[in-house]
Amino acid sequence: MERRTRINIIYDILRVIQERGGEIKKTHIMYRANLSHNQMKLYLAELYKKKFIENTDSDKPLIKITKKGQDFLRQYSQVKEFEKTFGL
Amino acid sequence: MKIVFTPDWFLGHDVLIDVFSFVILFLFFLFSVKSYKLNKNKRLLYLGIGFLLIALAELSIILTKFAIFYDTTLTSSIGGLIITYQVVSSVDIIYYLSFFFERLFTLSGLYIIYRLPLKKLSGDFVLVSYFIIIASVMCHNFYYIYHLTALIFLGLITRNYIKVYRKNKSANTQIFILAMSLLAISQVMFVLSKVSYFYVTAQIIQLTSYITLLILIIKITKNGKKNQNKHNL
Repeated sequence: MERRTRINIIYDILRVIQERGGEIKKTHIMYRANLSHNQMKLYLAELYKKKFIENTDSDKPLIKITKKGQDFLRQYSQVKEFEKTFGL
Repeated sequence: MKIVFTPDWFLGHDVLIDVFSFVILFLFFLFSVKSYKLNKNKRLLYLGIGFLLIALAELSIILTKFAIFYDTTLTSSIGGLIITYQVVSSVDIIYYLSFFFERLFTLSGLYIIYRLPLKKLSGDFVLVSYFIIIASVMCHNFYYIYHLTALIFLGLITRNYIKVYRKNKSANTQIFILAMSLLAISQVMFVLSKVSYFYVTAQIIQLTSYITLLILIIKITKNGKKNQNKHNL
């Protein structure tokens, strides 16, 4: 199995959030995106910094994908489709 | 020597086909660069360079055809023998150079696209470059050498992408194979283009091929969006 790149892990995290309707618990990200706790902390920090995710206003500790995060997800899906087409 | 086989009634239509081809190739270049910026996969950048080279070749042929059109009107309006001769000889050099670069860029671009699906990108680049330059130079006297070389490259590209399709089973790869096969057929027609009927047929097949590539880029963009929406459910 190929090692996932940093950008692929970011894509997987955002995809997991999107799959759950745009909001998710941190623990769910960890097992659905196949990450260790430390890895998840590092990647979430990066995603917060990039403004791809934010915390929800609700009482539950949920993470929400932002409009910027959704745009990235759409663009990266196109890139993956493009790569697949040309076998790259 | 005749280097453009466009029948008079088709002149203008073929330039439009070339402009359309240029736009599609440039779109692929832009998409490849955009994709490379996002995930830093160098193969995407090389793919973009391949498309850019073929786009530049199309641009070169568009400019040459414009020059031919204006050259005809210029020489007829000047009328003077010496002046006409000087204009024609300078235009000849432009024709020669632009056709040379058109062929060099197209063959180089096709070679890059051919190499990309292979696991190892490194190859006999010096040797291949030498043969591409030789083919581009020789085409001035034997125009069909360029079309035969392009036909071989397109055949190899089709073969490589059939292998890719066997692995990924992607409908988009099938569309790309179809576009490349159509381009290969157009090269066979171009070999026979001394008969104007074949030249026009070749141009129409080329147009069909580039329409197929346009459909491909629309599908890739839509599939990307669809995949994202699928995750939304």
